[in-house]
Amino acid sequence: MLEFIIPNNIVCHAVEAMLFASVACAILSVIITQVQISSIGFTMAHAAFAGAALGMFLSLNPTVCSIVAGISIAFLIGPLSDKARLSPDTSLGLLFGICMAVAIFFIAYMQTLGQGFSAMGLLFGDVISLYREEVYLLAAICIVAIVFILVLYKEITAIIFNKRIAESVGIRVKPVYYAMLFVIALTVALCLPIIGGLLLYVWLVTPAAIALQFCNRLSAIFVVAPAVAAVVSVTGALVGLEYSLPVAPLTAVLFSVVFIAAVILSPRRRVTFRKT
Amino acid sequence: MTSPDPVIRLENVYTAYEGADRPTLTDISLSIEKGEFVVIGGPNGAGKTTLLETINGMLPITHGKATVCGRDVRGDGVRVRCQVGYLLQNFAFDPLTPFTVEEVVLMGRYGTIGLFGKPGKEDYEAVQQALHLLGIEDLATRPIGQLSGGQQQKVLMAQNLARNPEILLLDEPFSNLDLFAREEINRLLAHLVGSGVTVLIVSHAFDDLPERPVRVVVMQDGKIVVARECSPGEVEQVVRSAGKGASHA
Repeated sequence: MLEFIIPNNIVCHAVEAMLFASVACAILSVIITQVQISSIGFTMAHAAFAGAALGMFLSLNPTVCSIVAGISIAFLIGPLSDKARLSPDTSLGLLFGICMAVAIFFIAYMQTLGQGFSAMGLLFGDVISLYREEVYLLAAICIVAIVFILVLYKEITAIIFNKRIAESVGIRVKPVYYAMLFVIALTVALCLPIIGGLLLYVWLVTPAAIALQFCNRLSAIFVVAPAVAAVVSVTGALVGLEYSLPVAPLTAVLFSVVFIAAVILSPRRRVTFRKT
Repeated sequence: MTSPDPVIRLENVYTAYEGADRPTLTDISLSIEKGEFVVIGGPNGAGKTTLLETINGMLPITHGKATVCGRDVRGDGVRVRCQVGYLLQNFAFDPLTPFTVEEVVLMGRYGTIGLFGKPGKEDYEAVQQALHLLGIEDLATRPIGQLSGGQQQKVLMAQNLARNPEILLLDEPFSNLDLFAREEINRLLAHLVGSGVTVLIVSHAFDDLPERPVRVVVMQDGKIVVARECSPGEVEQVVRSAGKGASHA
């Protein structure tokens, strides 16, 4: 898609993948941070990670396995909290621990079997060996995330404000909420191979946190977060490939630097917004 | 005298929270006419808020029948909520999320706009009208997180009025308001009831009720123990005597 700007195929695919993944994750980062479900995003990222590790071990498609695992976790959280009479926080902690244990077990086991290298890609991401189809899939999920926000903007913003108030004004909160979790799970699973299970969370939180430092309107945050993420990710991909540095970890560091700079430069003296 | 088509009709309704081993509301039967002003009293935990949330379909009815604005609450709760305003007693939101007052009030229209619809001119006009009714037009562009508790309560009241409700359910609407704001809200409620809106109010503050006939419903342990008409000045006495009667029973 960007071959007319970047003639090198490997670099082009890497930049495209990072661009699409970062825009999709950044849009969802606004939902994750504002609905305050970052622990759900965190658990889903690790579920996708565990699913991919299991898929690799069983010689199944790791992307499909991570999608299934991420979505399963999203739909398990609510019923587990209700049936086991646990707080959602405890349920998430439990599921996160199980996912981490499964992922680490299979990665360690694969290392003893001599398959460690491919499993390491799941931890830190790999943008070098991408097929064109994988880039198309990322482009598709990026479009899905954008369309999802455009179509359900008012429902999503009402849920961000207060779920019970959203329900009381006649919004079908549950279906919209589960659709949110589904899109997050899908995005997490598709972005996992290029960003890595350990770093994905940076993409799912930091862009919104950066945008919040400068924006006074929620609609602006939905625009600024993906724009910042796109610039940071493309820069990370180009610099990483130019100087043979690991792309996803480098981009995660860049995100952190931009976040610190944003906090320092923020025109919003956010402490004044707090009620005493 | 009861009309054949009351705006709210509950027949032997039982409501239970998910996972609870016994119903929170037990055998509730109540019929409320259009334009009535109903005060719901009773001790903490009597089921007053549960009654409001049963009427607007936010809680599941495990037994009995509830009809609101001609709709069966059990099967059509979402549509019922589009016609019923509900001011929650406890509302919490992240004050750092930058929502303006106007945006919050517009949310009151979202149910009526529908799933894939966008707000139109009519919706923005309804928002301006609701802000005007509450006298908070000047706050329209302010972030709601910067406002006082009383101002926030007025904004949420405006949110409910923005969808021109046929019924208004108010759970402790005076809790964050100063004396002047209480008087303003009471005048507004009197105006709304006069124009045909049915108002159900859960409150422990009976001093400033609008000067008009009131129906008092007193609840105790998930049941209605008293439901009768009286003047605003008698409400406190009715609630107190019903409470004493129930505790001696």
